[in-house]
Amino acid sequence: MKKFWKLAATAAAASLIVAACGGSDSASDTTSAPAAKTDLKVAVVYIGTTEDKGWSYQHEQGILQLEQELGLEVKRVENIKDDATSEATFEQLAADGYQLIFATSFGYGTPMARVATKNPEACMQWATGAKFLLTKAGGGEYADFDALPTNMGTYFGAAEEARYLSGIAAGKATKNGKIGYVAAFPIPEVLRGINAFTLGARSVNPEATVQVTWTKTWFDPTLEKQASESLLDAGVDVLGMHQDTTAPGVAAQAKGAKWVGYNSDAAEAAPEAWLTAPTWNWGPFYVKTAKAVAAGTCPTDEAYGTMADGMVTLGSFGKSVAADTQSMIEEKKAAIIDGSFAPFTGPINKQDGSAWLKAGEKAELGFLLGDMTFFVEGVVGSAKG
Amino acid sequence: MRAPFRIIFEQRSETPRYLSGFVPLVSVLAALLAGAIFLMATGYSVSETYSNMLQDGFFSSRGLTDTLGLSTVLICMGISAAFAFQMNLYNIGGEGQGYLGMIGGAWAGLALGPHLPSVVMIPALLLIGAAAGAAWIFIPAFVRARLGTSEIVTTLLLTYIGASLVNHFIYTPNSYFRAPDVVFPMGRTVADSAKLTAIGSTRMYPTFFLVVVLAVFLYWVVKRTEFGYRIQVIADSPRAAQYAGMNARRTTMQVMLISGALAGFGGATLIVGEFGKLDPGITMLGYGYAGIVIAALARNNFAAIIVSGILFSGLRVGGDKLQITTDTPIHIGVMLQGAILLFALGGEAFRRYKIRAVRMQAVTQ
Repeated sequence: MKKFWKLAATAAAASLIVAACGGSDSASDTTSAPAAKTDLKVAVVYIGTTEDKGWSYQHEQGILQLEQELGLEVKRVENIKDDATSEATFEQLAADGYQLIFATSFGYGTPMARVATKNPEACMQWATGAKFLLTKAGGGEYADFDALPTNMGTYFGAAEEARYLSGIAAGKATKNGKIGYVAAFPIPEVLRGINAFTLGARSVNPEATVQVTWTKTWFDPTLEKQASESLLDAGVDVLGMHQDTTAPGVAAQAKGAKWVGYNSDAAEAAPEAWLTAPTWNWGPFYVKTAKAVAAGTCPTDEAYGTMADGMVTLGSFGKSVAADTQSMIEEKKAAIIDGSFAPFTGPINKQDGSAWLKAGEKAELGFLLGDMTFFVEGVVGSAKG
Repeated sequence: MRAPFRIIFEQRSETPRYLSGFVPLVSVLAALLAGAIFLMATGYSVSETYSNMLQDGFFSSRGLTDTLGLSTVLICMGISAAFAFQMNLYNIGGEGQGYLGMIGGAWAGLALGPHLPSVVMIPALLLIGAAAGAAWIFIPAFVRARLGTSEIVTTLLLTYIGASLVNHFIYTPNSYFRAPDVVFPMGRTVADSAKLTAIGSTRMYPTFFLVVVLAVFLYWVVKRTEFGYRIQVIADSPRAAQYAGMNARRTTMQVMLISGALAGFGGATLIVGEFGKLDPGITMLGYGYAGIVIAALARNNFAAIIVSGILFSGLRVGGDKLQITTDTPIHIGVMLQGAILLFALGGEAFRRYKIRAVRMQAVTQ
């Protein structure tokens, strides 16, 4: 063990020097000595298995990229429930000398923070997390922000950008103007997605409506299928979703309807129904973070990726998406990336027709993250679940 | 083609003493052997896997304290199950009564926590949790005692309702149990006075010792008190008990309520311990169901439950950490845990039955 720490310290020192010489991120990309990087011990904790073809699978793609680019082997820990019992996992990883640990589910936050406090030499990264939720004011255990561990960061991204674009594909695909949406939980993250999707659909099909059904689960293929079928029976001919599996796609295809997926490019699950999907690209974040830790700094900010930095992406187009629709989406995508367009730009009305954003007014990120508790005009269903 | 032999099971009138210790030992060895064949077939090192599992579960300071920490709730669920089982009352809803204990404990910690000092708050929280667990078994106990309705069905079904209740309290907007103004539905952490601190830098809480004392106390109650004697008589022969003037209905109620209270107590230990809040994750952990297995392994002996609870816990802790300390995937750890339990329970058959192979003709005449 002692020998390991000596090695690790030497490696960290060496990479610090290299980084100092490099000066900027892009320079250090090319000048870092590979030997310094390979000594970094990295682990990732999954709530499911890496074969779920959804959330965990997509993170695994990023981890594979990290392994390849930095020439190291990442320890995967799968099927870890994201409640207080996960503390044992993080503690074991810290005790085994893992210097960088990624936790890919929301519920890992508090257990991870406890272990971070006890192991200041390890760097912790919490996906979908928010530090506010660890403080007393947010329902957590820490007195305030100052009491939080100083070796822990969070990461997530603006899926709403890709949701808007996939909404355009849905708005173009619907024949009767009725779109369905299978949604997990009535929380800002999901409401934000539904609203962006609806705005996208109505930007090309002003009369279109999006009917929402709640499943109250992230991962339950049977329930997701049943919810999809009830929407299809109600007459929708396109399905959007905020779920972990591809069950809604299979249900849509069986009824000859179209489908917008989520998380990963899963066209092969229902090729006839597939339109496109908002997808995640975690690789660049994982690579960047590992490089920073190898260089001796633990990023502790609350990273929020976008389409511009590549964390949020749009999947491939299905064959039923017309060429002009594709180019229209690509155009909007370019506008989102260069910053000239944001999905939540007024005029936008709330579900009941009252005004939310005035013409040209843009919603603040903080509001979108924490205060989006309502639907916009065009959504059918209750935002309370 | 007919097999020339037939296997017959003959119930033993009395189990020979040597078998009681011998059978569990051989069962575990057989399980390890079966696991070893599986490990070899899949190309993993047998010695490395087993030594890591043992070390992470029992023979390292972190492993041992993690194991004792987890065993706290498991022993509680074990004595809850055994307390009912010993009177042939099959309360298999300890799981749900545990949820209620967690709900009751979380309520106490949130509502009373800010007003009470720790010395009062902790016992109050545990007792309120126990009361909630007892309340959850009240209807099954009542209909069992009065109408003879199967408690297996009622306690199991109430477990699902209990799970829905936990989810309801977390996913409903503005719920009392829910953390306010946050983006994700999750429980609100109880007041500081309602939480115990872990021992040293471990993840083990002082409730472990409390639960051990509780198990020993129940052992004494069953073996040495009039109440315990009454339970044994009613269990062995309800009619004899009736002749002796024992009130079977009242004892049924008492035993089931105590069983529910013990499970509720187990749920409440999670609130003062590592959870600190109502968490829907509890419905995925199966501690109550594990308690049934732990009670069965210990043959409803309360002192033995301390041992089987710790062994079960170590198996879970060691198996779960296997994927961290070795290169084996998660499935290997889960498979080994399952194999050891299956063999240990299956070994019971050898203890209870004499198993013989008989020539076919002899039987079919």
